Amino acid sequence: MKAKGKVWSMFMLLLITVVVTAGCGNKASNEGQKGNTAGGTETSTPTTKNDKDIVIAINSNFITLDPHNASDTHSISAARTMYEGLMGFDENMNVVPVLAASHSISEDGLVYTFTLQENVKFQDGTDFNAEAVKVNIARIQDEKNNLRLRKSFAKVAKVETPDAKTVVITLSEPYNAFLNKVAMAPIISPKALEENGADISKNPVGTGPFKFKEWVQGDRLVVVKNPDYWQAGLPKVDSVTFRPVPENGSRIAMLKTGEADFIYPMPTEQVSEVEGLEGITVDTIDSTIVRYVTLNTMKKPFDDVKVRQAINYAINKEAYIKVVKSGLGAKLDSTMSSKTQYYSPQTGYDYDIEKAKQLLTEAGYPDGFETEIWGENESETMKGMQFIQQQLALVGIKVDVKSMEGGTLSDQINSAKTPEEAKIQMWYVSWSPSSGDADGATRGLFSSEMFPPAGSNTAYYKNENVDKWIAEANKSVDPEAAKSIYGNIQKTIWEDAPWAFMGVDQIISGKRSYLEGVKVFPDGSINVLNAEVK
Amino acid sequence: MGRYALQRLLGVIPLLFIVSVLVFLFIHLIPGDPARLIAGKDATLEEIRGIQEQLGLNLPLWKQYINYMGDLLSGNLGNSIRSGIPVTDMLESRVMPTLWLTFLSMAWALIIGLLIGVVSAVYRNRWPDHLGTLTAISGMSIPGFWLGLVLIQIFSVELGWFPTGGVDSWKSYILPSITLGMGIMSMLARYSRSSMLETLREDYIRTGRAKGLREYVVIGRHALRNSLIQVVTVAGLQFGFLLGGSVMVETVFSIPGLGRLLVDSILFRDYTVIQALLLLFATQFILINLLVDLLYGVLNPKIRFSQ
Repeated sequence: MKAKGKVWSMFMLLLITVVVTAGCGNKASNEGQKGNTAGGTETSTPTTKNDKDIVIAINSNFITLDPHNASDTHSISAARTMYEGLMGFDENMNVVPVLAASHSISEDGLVYTFTLQENVKFQDGTDFNAEAVKVNIARIQDEKNNLRLRKSFAKVAKVETPDAKTVVITLSEPYNAFLNKVAMAPIISPKALEENGADISKNPVGTGPFKFKEWVQGDRLVVVKNPDYWQAGLPKVDSVTFRPVPENGSRIAMLKTGEADFIYPMPTEQVSEVEGLEGITVDTIDSTIVRYVTLNTMKKPFDDVKVRQAINYAINKEAYIKVVKSGLGAKLDSTMSSKTQYYSPQTGYDYDIEKAKQLLTEAGYPDGFETEIWGENESETMKGMQFIQQQLALVGIKVDVKSMEGGTLSDQINSAKTPEEAKIQMWYVSWSPSSGDADGATRGLFSSEMFPPAGSNTAYYKNENVDKWIAEANKSVDPEAAKSIYGNIQKTIWEDAPWAFMGVDQIISGKRSYLEGVKVFPDGSINVLNAEVK
Repeated sequence: MGRYALQRLLGVIPLLFIVSVLVFLFIHLIPGDPARLIAGKDATLEEIRGIQEQLGLNLPLWKQYINYMGDLLSGNLGNSIRSGIPVTDMLESRVMPTLWLTFLSMAWALIIGLLIGVVSAVYRNRWPDHLGTLTAISGMSIPGFWLGLVLIQIFSVELGWFPTGGVDSWKSYILPSITLGMGIMSMLARYSRSSMLETLREDYIRTGRAKGLREYVVIGRHALRNSLIQVVTVAGLQFGFLLGGSVMVETVFSIPGLGRLLVDSILFRDYTVIQALLLLFATQFILINLLVDLLYGVLNPKIRFSQ
């Protein structure tokens, strides 16, 4: 009897031990942290902040801290806290000089000469100079490294460094978007590159306003003030902690409790929940992200331009913004957003159901037809597809909504090796040019060389003029000429309507009112250079 | 007992081998090319091929399998194909939050669940039983996702007692473990109630009572212990599911655990990480089952002798 009792008490003891150690065990590891949690019974809506350590909650993890290999926006944001490039972007996605004091481009568009800022040091104390730039470009171009930025520098024929503060880059052919690409290429300390090699992504060293402190995968990335930063008076906060918080509701809760000082993205359907709350500010700006439906122009009935135009007339875009985007968005009035380089607004396709019916009749489909639309299985995308389904039903087009998980969908689209094999009819999707350049918003989507799997021209759109113009614009040296060519491209595509042009996303972020200077740029990257606690 | 345990432990090895083959094949059967997902929407074909070559994804499947098994046997789980970070590093940083979360959830679910079950059985068809049943049924029917958000709204946003997420201190684990443990607690309450009721009808209980044993001895030492076998089975199975299945709770409370890592990895077809995680889950599942079997022996020596 005694032995039996012992077993039972041991069992309970074990449970209690687990509970107690669970409580204590993590205390120790937490002592280094400060100011991040809403402590104890404090008020749940703080309106002031005593320290200068800010917390930013974002919706997903960082993938890599290697700035030459980052392709997701959050990794790019993280890299930009610690790194800078010769050029950078301002909040309207214009290319502006950063580590280059000035630059000039030869008349033939082949030679780019950069004069570098002086007295800039990397965070490891080494000098930033022309040699460092050369080392970085060599790293990007090295095939062995297979870095994401390599294709942006494919046209660089040689890099020369006549003196320590001059870099001369010669291209093999003119490349209109080259400055944008330079702005996407941060400069890493050559010493750190040599010492860390492939591990540079775990030990980032740049010239940026913040220094790397720690990266706990999936939990937080902490960067601290670089005291030797070359721009006087910056940065104004001591540290920035990024926390991936995938659940929308949890991010909002963190903003409300003050555990996060800034959250991005702010889910559109929850803006109304926090708007007007004391101590919280919601910011919105137009993005470079466009939403559209590709129409497979090589498949019946979408091979008829009248059908495609009819679809554009049949969808009420204002209602789309209201219903699907909770009113936070703009109508897409071109092939690119107003925040993209060389944007040129178009007119037409105002909601007109009679016109749509008439065009369908002219095309030989007076009673409409049946088709299917593809999209990802995420809730807002589903809502978008259902909206389109409902709108097109009014003109007799019966749309079957097929939602798929991202990877599966990508496979469906890219497994077709030729346009004939393609099963895609309509695809509800979005696109954002990573460096805000017109080429990035055009070539991959509309050039006939970019049919899947080579690119993302999922409308299988082919227009010889557009093909010719894309090549011309790319090689054009004069920005005015490029602007006019891109104007023609946008006008032509707009009339050909290979897409149902839907909307431009708005970037919505939420912050505590005492925080200023944190900006989300139109490409969705977060900029903390001017962050300040007031 | 020791020999039995060792035998069972050795039996795990072929099982793990079979699991590894199945995991490998299944993962490669999911549609979606990791190279394309890693390279992003605007990638060129050349870039995608480069990534495929770099990762060995262009090799025939059997060659990939041999490479993978070779690495695995030498204890190398490889690098994440998405981020290039060694898989062991990723698991290392993610395993503790998940373990704490699961243990805590299991601990309170067991204690409260058993308590409710025993009280319900003893006071059968009286108000404590009705209250217990109500609690258990509600606990089972509340969706965890919703419960998590409600708890955050009440205890973090309104009252400010606990953080909304992360793993900064012990406080961070309270709300998630309540969310995660609720379902199991309810299930255990139901199982222990019915199991206890059955035991209370046994002859030896009647004998015990007739001998004049105090009621708490009858219930605590005789009835409870014998009804625990069924409870241990259920708890063991649930524990296995919990470790891998805390995805939802980890998402709501932004806990950097294994569940979230698995979801992220599946979205990007990060083969190496998915493989490592599934193997890990399979291993712990097998080990927990082994532990449950051994516990039977402890609880009822008759089972031990009949092995």
